[in-house]
Amino acid sequence: MAVLGVVIGYPVVYTLVLSTQQFNLLDTAPARFIGGANYTHLTTDPIFWSSLVNTAIYTLGSVTIAAFIGLVLALLTENLLGWRFRAVRALLLTPWAVPFVVVAFLFRYMYLQDGSVINAVLLRLGLIAQPVLWLNNATLALPAIMVANIWTMVPFFFLLLSAALAAVPTEVIEAASIDRAGTFSMIIYIKLPFLKSALLVSSLLMVISNVNDFAKIWAMTEGGPGYSTTTLVVYVYRLAFEDFNFGYASAIGVVWLMLLLGFAWLYLRMLRMP
Amino acid sequence: MSTGARSRRRTRWLPRTGQAVAIALALFWSLAPVYWMLATSFKTELEATQLEPTLWPLHPTLANYAGLSGSSLPFVAFFLNTAISCLLTAVIALAIATPAAYALSRGRFLLRGPFSYGILLFRMLPLVVMLAPLYLLLMMAHLLDSTAGLVVGFTTFGLPFAVWMMKSFIDAVPIEIEEAARVDGYGRLQILLKVVLPLVLPGLLTTATFVFMDAWNNLIYPLTFITSLSKQTLPAALVLTFTGQFKTDWGGMMAASTLTTLPLMIAFFAVQRSIVRGLVAGALAGA
Repeated sequence: MAVLGVVIGYPVVYTLVLSTQQFNLLDTAPARFIGGANYTHLTTDPIFWSSLVNTAIYTLGSVTIAAFIGLVLALLTENLLGWRFRAVRALLLTPWAVPFVVVAFLFRYMYLQDGSVINAVLLRLGLIAQPVLWLNNATLALPAIMVANIWTMVPFFFLLLSAALAAVPTEVIEAASIDRAGTFSMIIYIKLPFLKSALLVSSLLMVISNVNDFAKIWAMTEGGPGYSTTTLVVYVYRLAFEDFNFGYASAIGVVWLMLLLGFAWLYLRMLRMP
Repeated sequence: MSTGARSRRRTRWLPRTGQAVAIALALFWSLAPVYWMLATSFKTELEATQLEPTLWPLHPTLANYAGLSGSSLPFVAFFLNTAISCLLTAVIALAIATPAAYALSRGRFLLRGPFSYGILLFRMLPLVVMLAPLYLLLMMAHLLDSTAGLVVGFTTFGLPFAVWMMKSFIDAVPIEIEEAARVDGYGRLQILLKVVLPLVLPGLLTTATFVFMDAWNNLIYPLTFITSLSKQTLPAALVLTFTGQFKTDWGGMMAASTLTTLPLMIAFFAVQRSIVRGLVAGALAGA
Protein backbone atom coordinates (compact mmCIF):
# COMPACT_ATOMS: atom_id res chain seq x y z
CA MET A 1 0.00 0.00 0.00
CA ALA A 2 2.76 2.38 0.96
CA VAL A 3 4.71 1.34 -2.13
CA LEU A 4 1.69 2.18 -4.22
CA GLY A 5 1.40 5.59 -2.65
CA VAL A 6 5.04 6.42 -3.22
CA VAL A 7 5.24 5.11 -6.77
CA ILE A 8 2.27 7.10 -8.00
CA GLY A 9 2.01 9.86 -5.42
CA TYR A 10 5.56 11.12 -5.64
CA PRO A 11 5.48 12.22 -9.30
CA VAL A 12 2.26 14.14 -8.73
CA VAL A 13 3.57 16.10 -5.78
CA TYR A 14 6.83 16.70 -7.58
CA THR A 15 4.98 18.05 -10.60
CA LEU A 16 3.19 20.55 -8.38
CA VAL A 17 6.51 21.72 -6.98
CA LEU A 18 8.14 21.93 -10.39
CA SER A 19 5.28 23.96 -11.80
CA THR A 20 6.12 26.88 -9.52
CA GLN A 21 9.76 26.92 -10.48
CA GLN A 22 11.87 28.39 -13.20
CA PHE A 23 13.59 25.16 -14.04
CA ASN A 24 15.46 24.41 -17.22
CA LEU A 25 17.87 21.49 -17.46
CA LEU A 26 19.95 23.40 -19.99
CA ASP A 27 20.39 26.36 -17.65
CA THR A 28 23.37 26.31 -15.39
CA ALA A 29 21.36 28.25 -12.82
CA PRO A 30 19.61 26.06 -10.24
CA ALA A 31 15.84 25.83 -10.07
CA ARG A 32 14.28 28.87 -8.49
CA PHE A 33 10.85 29.58 -7.13
CA ILE A 34 8.79 31.91 -9.31
CA GLY A 35 5.32 31.37 -7.91
CA GLY A 36 2.52 31.59 -10.43
CA ALA A 37 4.58 33.01 -13.28
CA ASN A 38 4.38 29.79 -15.29
CA TYR A 39 0.62 29.90 -14.96
CA THR A 40 0.26 33.52 -16.08
CA HIS A 41 2.44 32.77 -19.07
CA LEU A 42 0.07 29.94 -19.89
CA THR A 43 -2.97 32.16 -20.34
CA THR A 44 -1.31 34.13 -23.12
CA ASP A 45 0.32 31.20 -24.87
CA PRO A 46 -1.56 30.64 -28.16
CA ILE A 47 0.01 27.22 -28.70
CA PHE A 48 -1.30 26.05 -25.35
CA TRP A 49 -4.84 27.04 -26.32
CA SER A 50 -4.66 25.54 -29.78
CA SER A 51 -3.30 22.28 -28.38
CA LEU A 52 -6.11 22.26 -25.83
CA VAL A 53 -8.64 22.59 -28.65
CA ASN A 54 -6.85 19.93 -30.70
CA THR A 55 -6.90 17.56 -27.73
CA ALA A 56 -10.64 18.10 -27.30
CA ILE A 57 -11.41 17.56 -30.99
CA TYR A 58 -9.14 14.56 -31.24
CA THR A 59 -10.45 12.88 -28.10
CA LEU A 60 -14.16 13.62 -28.24
CA GLY A 61 -14.38 13.22 -32.03
CA SER A 62 -12.59 9.88 -32.13
CA VAL A 63 -14.36 8.45 -29.10
CA THR A 64 -17.84 9.45 -30.28
CA ILE A 65 -17.40 8.08 -33.77
CA ALA A 66 -15.68 4.90 -32.60
CA ALA A 67 -18.40 4.27 -30.02
CA PHE A 68 -21.05 4.72 -32.69
CA ILE A 69 -19.35 2.32 -35.11
CA GLY A 70 -18.79 -0.16 -32.30
CA LEU A 71 -22.47 0.04 -31.39
CA VAL A 72 -23.57 -0.54 -34.98
CA LEU A 73 -21.24 -3.54 -35.27
CA ALA A 74 -22.51 -4.98 -31.99
CA LEU A 75 -26.13 -4.67 -33.16
CA LEU A 76 -25.19 -6.03 -36.55
CA THR A 77 -23.62 -9.21 -35.22
CA GLU A 78 -26.12 -9.71 -32.41
CA ASN A 79 -28.08 -12.51 -34.05
CA LEU A 80 -25.09 -14.46 -35.31
CA LEU A 81 -24.67 -17.75 -33.52
CA GLY A 82 -21.90 -20.14 -32.55
CA TRP A 83 -18.75 -20.34 -34.64
CA ARG A 84 -19.92 -17.67 -37.04
CA PHE A 85 -20.10 -15.16 -34.23
CA ARG A 86 -16.78 -16.24 -32.77
CA ALA A 87 -15.07 -16.01 -36.16
CA VAL A 88 -16.52 -12.60 -37.02
CA ARG A 89 -15.73 -11.33 -33.54
CA ALA A 90 -12.12 -12.52 -33.67
CA LEU A 91 -11.61 -10.87 -37.06
CA LEU A 92 -13.26 -7.63 -36.00
CA LEU A 93 -11.02 -7.51 -32.92
CA THR A 94 -7.81 -7.73 -34.98
CA PRO A 95 -7.03 -3.97 -35.12
CA TRP A 96 -6.88 -3.98 -31.33
CA ALA A 97 -3.78 -6.14 -31.38
CA VAL A 98 -1.83 -3.86 -33.70
CA PRO A 99 0.64 -1.70 -31.73
CA PHE A 100 -0.03 2.04 -31.94
CA VAL A 101 3.28 2.84 -33.58
CA VAL A 102 2.60 0.29 -36.27
CA VAL A 103 -0.87 1.71 -36.81
CA ALA A 104 0.71 5.12 -37.22
CA PHE A 105 3.28 4.00 -39.78
CA LEU A 106 0.80 1.83 -41.62
CA PHE A 107 -1.63 4.71 -42.06
CA ARG A 108 1.18 7.10 -42.82
CA TYR A 109 2.15 4.78 -45.65
CA MET A 110 -1.44 4.52 -46.85
CA TYR A 111 -1.75 8.31 -46.78
CA LEU A 112 1.35 9.05 -48.91
CA GLN A 113 0.82 11.51 -51.72
CA ASP A 114 2.15 9.35 -54.52
CA GLY A 115 1.57 5.65 -54.79
CA SER A 116 -0.52 5.37 -51.64
CA VAL A 117 -3.45 3.02 -51.62
CA ILE A 118 -5.96 5.56 -50.28
CA ASN A 119 -5.24 8.13 -52.95
CA ALA A 120 -5.17 5.46 -55.65
CA VAL A 121 -8.59 4.11 -54.65
CA LEU A 122 -10.16 7.56 -54.33
CA LEU A 123 -8.72 8.59 -57.71
CA ARG A 124 -10.02 5.43 -59.33
CA LEU A 125 -13.48 6.07 -57.87
CA GLY A 126 -13.32 9.63 -59.16
CA LEU A 127 -13.85 11.12 -55.70
CA ILE A 128 -10.74 13.27 -55.92
CA ALA A 129 -9.17 14.83 -58.99
CA GLN A 130 -5.56 14.63 -57.87
CA PRO A 131 -3.60 12.96 -55.08
CA VAL A 132 -4.23 14.57 -51.71
CA LEU A 133 -1.43 15.34 -49.27
CA TRP A 134 -3.36 14.04 -46.26
CA LEU A 135 -0.82 14.51 -43.52
CA ASN A 136 0.84 17.65 -44.86
CA ASN A 137 -2.36 19.65 -44.95
CA ALA A 138 -3.12 21.66 -41.84
CA THR A 139 -6.87 21.06 -42.04
CA LEU A 140 -6.78 17.41 -43.12
CA ALA A 141 -3.98 16.13 -40.89
CA LEU A 142 -5.95 15.91 -37.65
CA PRO A 143 -8.99 14.15 -39.18
CA ALA A 144 -6.59 11.81 -40.99
CA ILE A 145 -4.95 10.79 -37.71
CA MET A 146 -8.39 10.43 -36.15
CA VAL A 147 -9.35 7.87 -38.79
CA ALA A 148 -6.36 5.75 -37.79
CA ASN A 149 -7.24 6.26 -34.14
CA ILE A 150 -10.86 5.26 -34.67
CA TRP A 151 -9.67 2.17 -36.48
CA THR A 152 -7.80 0.96 -33.40
CA MET A 153 -10.59 1.87 -30.97
CA VAL A 154 -13.66 0.33 -32.61
CA PRO A 155 -12.88 -3.24 -31.47
CA PHE A 156 -12.93 -2.21 -27.83
CA PHE A 157 -16.37 -0.64 -28.09
CA PHE A 158 -17.62 -3.50 -30.23
CA LEU A 159 -16.53 -6.06 -27.65
CA LEU A 160 -17.95 -4.30 -24.59
CA LEU A 161 -21.21 -3.36 -26.25
CA SER A 162 -21.73 -6.87 -27.64
CA ALA A 163 -21.36 -8.21 -24.14
CA ALA A 164 -23.75 -5.64 -22.72
CA LEU A 165 -26.24 -6.36 -25.48
CA ALA A 166 -26.19 -10.06 -24.68
CA ALA A 167 -27.01 -9.17 -21.09
CA VAL A 168 -30.28 -7.40 -21.95
CA PRO A 169 -32.97 -9.52 -20.27
CA THR A 170 -34.82 -11.73 -22.73
CA GLU A 171 -38.21 -10.93 -21.14
CA VAL A 172 -37.85 -7.26 -21.96
CA ILE A 173 -37.19 -7.98 -25.62
CA GLU A 174 -40.09 -10.44 -25.75
CA ALA A 175 -42.51 -8.04 -24.14
CA ALA A 176 -41.48 -5.36 -26.61
CA SER A 177 -41.91 -7.61 -29.61
CA ILE A 178 -45.37 -8.66 -28.40
CA ASP A 179 -46.20 -4.96 -28.32
CA ARG A 180 -45.02 -4.92 -31.94
CA ALA A 181 -42.15 -2.58 -31.33
CA GLY A 182 -40.47 -1.78 -34.64
CA THR A 183 -36.84 -2.70 -35.11
CA PHE A 184 -35.54 0.82 -34.66
CA SER A 185 -37.76 1.75 -31.75
CA MET A 186 -36.66 -1.56 -30.23
CA ILE A 187 -33.04 -0.46 -30.51
CA ILE A 188 -33.56 3.08 -29.33
CA TYR A 189 -36.09 2.64 -26.53
CA ILE A 190 -35.42 -0.87 -25.32
CA LYS A 191 -31.80 -1.77 -25.94
CA LEU A 192 -29.94 1.53 -25.67
CA PRO A 193 -31.00 2.28 -22.10
CA PHE A 194 -29.50 -1.06 -21.08
CA LEU A 195 -26.27 -0.14 -22.80
CA LYS A 196 -25.88 3.20 -21.07
CA SER A 197 -23.50 2.19 -18.33
CA ALA A 198 -21.41 0.06 -20.69
CA LEU A 199 -21.20 3.00 -23.07
CA LEU A 200 -20.22 5.40 -20.31
CA VAL A 201 -17.57 3.16 -18.79
CA SER A 202 -16.00 2.21 -22.10
CA SER A 203 -15.94 5.77 -23.40
CA LEU A 204 -14.44 7.01 -20.13
CA LEU A 205 -11.61 4.49 -20.47
CA MET A 206 -11.06 5.51 -24.08
CA VAL A 207 -11.17 9.24 -23.32
CA ILE A 208 -8.39 8.66 -20.80
CA SER A 209 -6.25 6.73 -23.21
CA ASN A 210 -6.91 9.24 -26.01
CA VAL A 211 -5.97 12.27 -23.98
CA ASN A 212 -2.72 10.43 -23.34
CA ASP A 213 -2.19 9.39 -26.92
CA PHE A 214 1.29 10.27 -28.01
CA ALA A 215 2.44 7.39 -30.18
CA LYS A 216 0.02 7.77 -33.07
CA ILE A 217 0.31 11.53 -33.40
CA TRP A 218 4.07 11.64 -32.92
CA ALA A 219 4.78 8.84 -35.40
CA MET A 220 2.45 10.28 -38.04
CA THR A 221 3.08 14.02 -37.97
CA GLU A 222 5.15 14.94 -34.88
CA GLY A 223 2.43 17.52 -34.21
CA GLY A 224 2.74 19.26 -37.56
CA PRO A 225 2.27 20.74 -40.05
CA GLY A 226 2.74 23.88 -38.01
CA TYR A 227 0.96 23.15 -34.75
CA SER A 228 -2.16 21.76 -36.45
CA THR A 229 -1.94 18.33 -34.84
CA THR A 230 -0.16 19.34 -31.64
CA THR A 231 -2.17 18.06 -28.70
CA LEU A 232 -1.30 18.70 -25.06
CA VAL A 233 0.84 15.56 -24.79
CA VAL A 234 2.85 16.51 -27.83
CA TYR A 235 3.25 20.09 -26.63
CA VAL A 236 4.38 19.09 -23.16
CA TYR A 237 6.78 16.56 -24.64
CA ARG A 238 8.29 19.23 -26.87
CA LEU A 239 8.57 21.70 -24.00
CA ALA A 240 10.13 19.21 -21.64
CA PHE A 241 12.39 17.21 -23.89
CA GLU A 242 13.30 19.54 -26.70
CA ASP A 243 13.50 22.80 -24.72
CA PHE A 244 14.03 21.07 -21.34
CA ASN A 245 11.70 23.63 -19.82
CA PHE A 246 10.48 21.37 -17.03
CA GLY A 247 8.86 24.12 -14.97
CA TYR A 248 6.53 25.35 -17.66
CA ALA A 249 5.78 21.82 -18.88
CA SER A 250 4.77 20.87 -15.35
CA ALA A 251 2.45 23.87 -15.06
CA ILE A 252 0.59 22.67 -18.13
CA GLY A 253 0.46 19.22 -16.60
CA VAL A 254 -1.17 20.61 -13.47
CA VAL A 255 -3.81 22.57 -15.41
CA TRP A 256 -4.48 19.47 -17.39
CA LEU A 257 -4.88 17.45 -14.24
CA MET A 258 -7.49 19.92 -12.98
CA LEU A 259 -9.42 19.64 -16.24
CA LEU A 260 -9.35 15.87 -16.04
CA LEU A 261 -10.52 15.88 -12.44
CA GLY A 262 -13.46 18.05 -13.43
CA PHE A 263 -14.23 15.74 -16.27
CA ALA A 264 -14.04 12.66 -14.06
CA TRP A 265 -16.33 14.25 -11.49
CA LEU A 266 -18.90 15.02 -14.18
CA TYR A 267 -18.62 11.49 -15.39
CA LEU A 268 -19.14 9.85 -12.04
CA ARG A 269 -22.24 11.98 -11.57
CA MET A 270 -23.62 10.92 -14.93
CA LEU A 271 -22.96 7.32 -14.04
CA ARG A 272 -24.89 7.59 -10.80
CA MET A 273 -27.89 9.20 -12.45
CA PRO A 274 -30.78 6.76 -12.88
CA MET B 1 -32.11 -22.92 -24.23
CA SER B 2 -35.64 -21.61 -23.93
CA THR B 3 -37.71 -20.77 -26.96
CA GLY B 4 -37.77 -17.20 -25.73
CA ALA B 5 -34.06 -16.81 -26.18
CA ARG B 6 -34.32 -18.31 -29.64
CA SER B 7 -37.03 -16.05 -30.92
CA ARG B 8 -35.04 -13.15 -29.57
CA ARG B 9 -32.01 -14.22 -31.52
CA ARG B 10 -34.08 -14.06 -34.66
CA THR B 11 -35.05 -10.43 -34.30
CA ARG B 12 -33.51 -8.77 -37.29
CA TRP B 13 -33.24 -5.12 -38.00
CA LEU B 14 -31.83 -5.58 -41.46
CA PRO B 15 -32.72 -8.04 -44.21
CA ARG B 16 -30.32 -10.95 -44.42
CA THR B 17 -28.45 -9.66 -47.47
CA GLY B 18 -28.15 -6.19 -46.01
CA GLN B 19 -26.66 -7.66 -42.87
CA ALA B 20 -24.21 -9.78 -44.85
CA VAL B 21 -23.06 -6.77 -46.85
CA ALA B 22 -22.67 -4.66 -43.72
CA ILE B 23 -20.63 -7.35 -41.98
CA ALA B 24 -18.47 -7.77 -45.07
CA LEU B 25 -17.83 -4.03 -45.05
CA ALA B 26 -16.93 -4.11 -41.37
CA LEU B 27 -14.51 -6.98 -41.95
CA PHE B 28 -12.96 -5.10 -44.85
CA TRP B 29 -12.50 -2.00 -42.70
CA SER B 30 -10.84 -4.00 -39.94
CA LEU B 31 -8.65 -6.24 -42.04
CA ALA B 32 -7.68 -4.25 -45.13
CA PRO B 33 -4.97 -2.18 -43.39
CA VAL B 34 -3.48 -5.33 -41.84
CA TYR B 35 -3.51 -7.03 -45.22
CA TRP B 36 -1.84 -4.00 -46.74
CA MET B 37 0.94 -4.16 -44.18
CA LEU B 38 1.54 -7.86 -44.87
CA ALA B 39 1.34 -7.46 -48.64
CA THR B 40 3.74 -4.53 -48.65
CA SER B 41 6.24 -6.38 -46.49
CA PHE B 42 6.62 -8.93 -49.30
CA LYS B 43 6.98 -6.37 -52.06
CA THR B 44 10.23 -5.21 -53.58
CA GLU B 45 11.32 -1.71 -52.65
CA LEU B 46 10.41 -0.47 -56.12
CA GLU B 47 6.96 -2.03 -56.06
CA ALA B 48 6.15 -0.68 -52.59
CA THR B 49 6.61 2.91 -53.68
CA GLN B 50 5.55 2.86 -57.31
CA LEU B 51 2.95 5.36 -58.39
CA GLU B 52 0.24 2.81 -59.14
CA PRO B 53 0.04 0.50 -56.09
CA THR B 54 -0.39 -3.22 -56.75
CA LEU B 55 -3.07 -5.17 -54.93
CA TRP B 56 -0.75 -8.08 -54.14
CA PRO B 57 3.01 -8.51 -54.46
CA LEU B 58 3.80 -9.20 -58.11
CA HIS B 59 7.23 -10.54 -57.26
CA PRO B 60 6.90 -11.79 -53.68
CA THR B 61 10.21 -11.54 -51.87
CA LEU B 62 11.56 -12.13 -48.41
CA ALA B 63 14.26 -9.53 -48.99
CA ASN B 64 12.66 -7.07 -46.56
CA TYR B 65 12.80 -9.57 -43.71
CA ALA B 66 16.29 -10.70 -44.64
CA GLY B 67 17.30 -7.06 -44.77
CA LEU B 68 16.16 -6.60 -41.17
CA SER B 69 18.31 -9.39 -39.76
CA GLY B 70 21.26 -8.34 -41.86
CA SER B 71 20.97 -4.62 -41.21
CA SER B 72 23.28 -2.65 -38.99
CA LEU B 73 20.41 -2.12 -36.57
CA PRO B 74 20.12 -4.63 -33.72
CA PHE B 75 16.52 -5.71 -34.29
CA VAL B 76 16.90 -8.80 -32.16
CA ALA B 77 18.05 -6.60 -29.29
CA PHE B 78 15.12 -4.21 -29.82
CA PHE B 79 12.75 -7.14 -29.73
CA LEU B 80 14.31 -8.60 -26.58
CA ASN B 81 14.35 -5.20 -24.84
CA THR B 82 10.66 -4.73 -25.53
CA ALA B 83 9.62 -8.25 -24.63
CA ILE B 84 11.63 -8.29 -21.39
CA SER B 85 10.56 -4.88 -20.16
CA CYS B 86 6.89 -5.46 -20.99
CA LEU B 87 6.79 -8.92 -19.41
CA LEU B 88 8.57 -7.72 -16.29
CA THR B 89 6.14 -4.82 -16.06
CA ALA B 90 3.14 -7.13 -16.30
CA VAL B 91 4.52 -9.48 -13.64
CA ILE B 92 5.55 -6.75 -11.20
CA ALA B 93 2.36 -4.74 -11.66
CA LEU B 94 0.20 -7.80 -10.99
CA ALA B 95 2.31 -8.90 -8.04
CA ILE B 96 1.71 -5.54 -6.38
CA ALA B 97 -1.80 -4.98 -7.64
CA THR B 98 -3.36 -8.26 -6.60
CA PRO B 99 -2.78 -7.96 -2.83
CA ALA B 100 -3.60 -4.25 -3.00
CA ALA B 101 -6.84 -4.96 -4.84
CA TYR B 102 -7.69 -7.71 -2.38
CA ALA B 103 -7.17 -5.36 0.53
CA LEU B 104 -9.33 -2.70 -1.10
CA SER B 105 -12.04 -5.18 -1.94
CA ARG B 106 -12.24 -7.06 1.34
CA GLY B 107 -10.44 -5.02 3.93
CA ARG B 108 -12.23 -2.64 6.26
CA PHE B 109 -9.95 0.21 7.08
CA LEU B 110 -9.92 3.95 7.36
CA LEU B 111 -10.07 5.90 4.09
CA ARG B 112 -10.77 2.80 2.05
CA GLY B 113 -13.30 4.62 -0.14
CA PRO B 114 -11.17 7.69 -0.89
CA PHE B 115 -8.23 5.41 -1.51
CA SER B 116 -10.08 3.44 -4.18
CA TYR B 117 -11.26 6.58 -5.91
CA GLY B 118 -7.78 8.01 -5.63
CA ILE B 119 -6.41 5.07 -7.57
CA LEU B 120 -9.04 5.54 -10.24
CA LEU B 121 -8.03 9.19 -10.51
CA PHE B 122 -4.36 8.31 -10.79
CA ARG B 123 -5.31 6.15 -13.71
CA MET B 124 -6.55 9.31 -15.38
CA LEU B 125 -3.30 11.17 -14.84
CA PRO B 126 -1.88 12.22 -18.11
CA LEU B 127 1.26 10.25 -18.88
CA VAL B 128 3.06 13.49 -19.51
CA VAL B 129 2.42 14.85 -16.03
CA MET B 130 4.52 11.98 -14.77
CA LEU B 131 7.15 12.44 -17.43
CA ALA B 132 9.25 15.27 -16.00
CA PRO B 133 9.28 14.05 -12.38
CA LEU B 134 9.90 10.46 -13.43
CA TYR B 135 12.77 11.57 -15.60
CA LEU B 136 14.39 13.45 -12.73
CA LEU B 137 13.68 10.59 -10.34
CA LEU B 138 15.29 8.04 -12.64
CA MET B 139 18.18 10.39 -13.22
CA MET B 140 18.84 10.60 -9.49
CA ALA B 141 18.55 6.83 -9.14
CA HIS B 142 20.92 6.37 -12.10
CA LEU B 143 18.28 4.34 -13.87
CA LEU B 144 18.08 6.42 -17.02
CA ASP B 145 18.99 4.52 -20.14
CA SER B 146 18.35 1.12 -18.57
CA THR B 147 15.67 -1.51 -18.90
CA ALA B 148 15.09 -1.35 -15.15
CA GLY B 149 14.24 2.35 -15.40
CA LEU B 150 11.87 1.60 -18.23
CA VAL B 151 10.13 -1.05 -16.15
CA VAL B 152 9.71 1.46 -13.32
CA GLY B 153 8.14 3.91 -15.75
CA PHE B 154 5.80 1.38 -17.30
CA THR B 155 4.79 0.10 -13.90
CA THR B 156 3.82 3.51 -12.53
CA PHE B 157 1.46 3.82 -15.44
CA GLY B 158 0.11 0.26 -15.45
CA LEU B 159 -0.30 -0.19 -11.72
CA PRO B 160 -3.39 1.96 -10.98
CA PHE B 161 -5.22 0.35 -13.85
CA ALA B 162 -4.22 -3.11 -12.68
CA VAL B 163 -5.42 -2.41 -9.14
CA TRP B 164 -8.71 -1.09 -10.38
CA MET B 165 -9.34 -4.05 -12.70
CA MET B 166 -8.28 -6.63 -10.13
CA LYS B 167 -10.49 -5.03 -7.52
CA SER B 168 -13.57 -5.45 -9.67
CA PHE B 169 -12.68 -9.09 -10.34
CA ILE B 170 -12.19 -9.81 -6.65
CA ASP B 171 -15.42 -7.96 -5.84
CA ALA B 172 -17.22 -10.47 -8.03
CA VAL B 173 -16.00 -13.45 -5.99
CA PRO B 174 -18.75 -14.44 -3.51
CA ILE B 175 -17.58 -13.71 0.00
CA GLU B 176 -19.24 -16.94 1.24
CA ILE B 177 -16.51 -18.97 -0.43
CA GLU B 178 -13.91 -17.15 1.60
CA GLU B 179 -15.88 -17.54 4.78
CA ALA B 180 -16.07 -21.26 4.19
CA ALA B 181 -12.31 -21.33 3.74
CA ARG B 182 -11.83 -19.38 6.94
CA VAL B 183 -13.93 -21.95 8.80
CA ASP B 184 -11.58 -24.59 7.41
CA GLY B 185 -8.75 -22.76 9.15
CA TYR B 186 -7.18 -20.86 6.26
CA GLY B 187 -5.31 -17.65 7.00
CA ARG B 188 -5.74 -14.42 5.03
CA LEU B 189 -2.77 -15.03 2.78
CA GLN B 190 -3.76 -18.64 2.21
CA ILE B 191 -7.26 -17.56 1.27
CA LEU B 192 -5.87 -15.07 -1.22
CA LEU B 193 -3.44 -17.54 -2.77
CA LYS B 194 -5.43 -20.78 -2.68
CA VAL B 195 -9.04 -19.66 -2.89
CA VAL B 196 -9.36 -16.23 -4.50
CA LEU B 197 -6.48 -16.37 -6.95
CA PRO B 198 -7.63 -19.49 -8.82
CA LEU B 199 -11.10 -17.98 -9.13
CA VAL B 200 -9.90 -14.70 -10.62
CA LEU B 201 -7.36 -16.29 -12.94
CA PRO B 202 -9.16 -15.17 -16.13
CA GLY B 203 -9.26 -11.67 -14.68
CA LEU B 204 -5.60 -11.82 -13.77
CA LEU B 205 -4.72 -12.91 -17.29
CA THR B 206 -6.84 -10.17 -18.80
CA THR B 207 -5.31 -7.49 -16.61
CA ALA B 208 -1.80 -8.75 -17.31
CA THR B 209 -2.48 -8.68 -21.05
CA PHE B 210 -3.69 -5.12 -20.85
CA VAL B 211 -0.72 -3.97 -18.82
CA PHE B 212 1.56 -5.78 -21.26
CA MET B 213 -0.13 -4.20 -24.28
CA ASP B 214 -0.11 -0.77 -22.69
CA ALA B 215 3.62 -1.06 -22.11
CA TRP B 216 4.19 -2.35 -25.62
CA ASN B 217 2.24 0.61 -26.99
CA ASN B 218 4.09 3.13 -24.84
CA LEU B 219 6.30 5.27 -26.99
CA ILE B 220 6.93 8.34 -24.91
CA TYR B 221 8.78 6.63 -22.03
CA PRO B 222 11.35 4.74 -24.10
CA LEU B 223 11.90 7.82 -26.25
CA THR B 224 12.70 9.95 -23.25
CA PHE B 225 14.32 7.52 -20.79
CA ILE B 226 16.50 5.52 -23.17
CA THR B 227 19.33 7.26 -24.95
CA SER B 228 21.48 4.51 -26.44
CA LEU B 229 19.98 2.86 -29.48
CA SER B 230 20.99 -0.68 -28.47
CA LYS B 231 18.77 -0.44 -25.36
CA GLN B 232 15.78 0.92 -27.23
CA THR B 233 12.40 -0.80 -27.56
CA LEU B 234 10.92 -1.82 -30.89
CA PRO B 235 8.25 0.91 -31.20
CA ALA B 236 10.71 3.66 -30.32
CA ALA B 237 13.34 2.15 -32.58
CA LEU B 238 10.85 2.21 -35.46
CA VAL B 239 10.28 5.91 -34.91
CA LEU B 240 13.96 6.69 -34.51
CA THR B 241 15.15 4.69 -37.49
CA PHE B 242 12.38 5.93 -39.72
CA THR B 243 14.16 9.20 -40.19
CA GLY B 244 17.24 7.31 -41.32
CA GLN B 245 17.22 3.87 -42.82
CA PHE B 246 13.56 3.55 -43.70
CA LYS B 247 13.00 6.98 -45.16
CA THR B 248 11.75 5.55 -48.45
CA ASP B 249 12.06 1.85 -47.76
CA TRP B 250 8.39 1.20 -47.01
CA GLY B 251 8.78 -2.52 -47.70
CA GLY B 252 11.38 -2.80 -44.96
CA MET B 253 9.29 -0.58 -42.70
CA MET B 254 6.26 -2.81 -43.14
CA ALA B 255 8.36 -5.93 -42.52
CA ALA B 256 9.59 -4.40 -39.27
CA SER B 257 6.02 -3.40 -38.43
CA THR B 258 4.77 -6.92 -39.05
CA LEU B 259 7.40 -8.28 -36.68
CA THR B 260 6.43 -5.69 -34.06
CA THR B 261 2.78 -6.67 -34.37
CA LEU B 262 3.21 -10.42 -34.33
CA PRO B 263 3.99 -10.96 -30.62
CA LEU B 264 1.15 -8.69 -29.57
CA MET B 265 -1.25 -10.42 -31.94
CA ILE B 266 -0.24 -13.83 -30.58
CA ALA B 267 -0.58 -12.69 -26.97
CA PHE B 268 -3.93 -11.11 -27.71
CA PHE B 269 -5.48 -14.08 -29.45
CA ALA B 270 -4.05 -16.57 -26.99
CA VAL B 271 -6.00 -14.93 -24.17
CA GLN B 272 -8.85 -13.53 -26.25
CA ARG B 273 -11.47 -15.74 -24.64
CA SER B 274 -10.53 -14.77 -21.14
CA ILE B 275 -10.28 -11.12 -22.19
CA VAL B 276 -13.86 -11.25 -23.36
CA ARG B 277 -15.02 -12.85 -20.13
CA GLY B 278 -12.71 -10.77 -17.98
CA LEU B 279 -13.60 -7.41 -19.48
CA VAL B 280 -17.28 -8.09 -19.20
CA ALA B 281 -16.95 -9.06 -15.56
CA GLY B 282 -14.40 -6.38 -14.75
CA ALA B 283 -15.16 -3.23 -16.64
CA LEU B 284 -18.91 -3.54 -16.54
CA ALA B 285 -19.17 -4.65 -12.94
CA GLY B 286 -16.63 -2.06 -11.92
CA ALA B 287 -18.97 0.72 -12.91
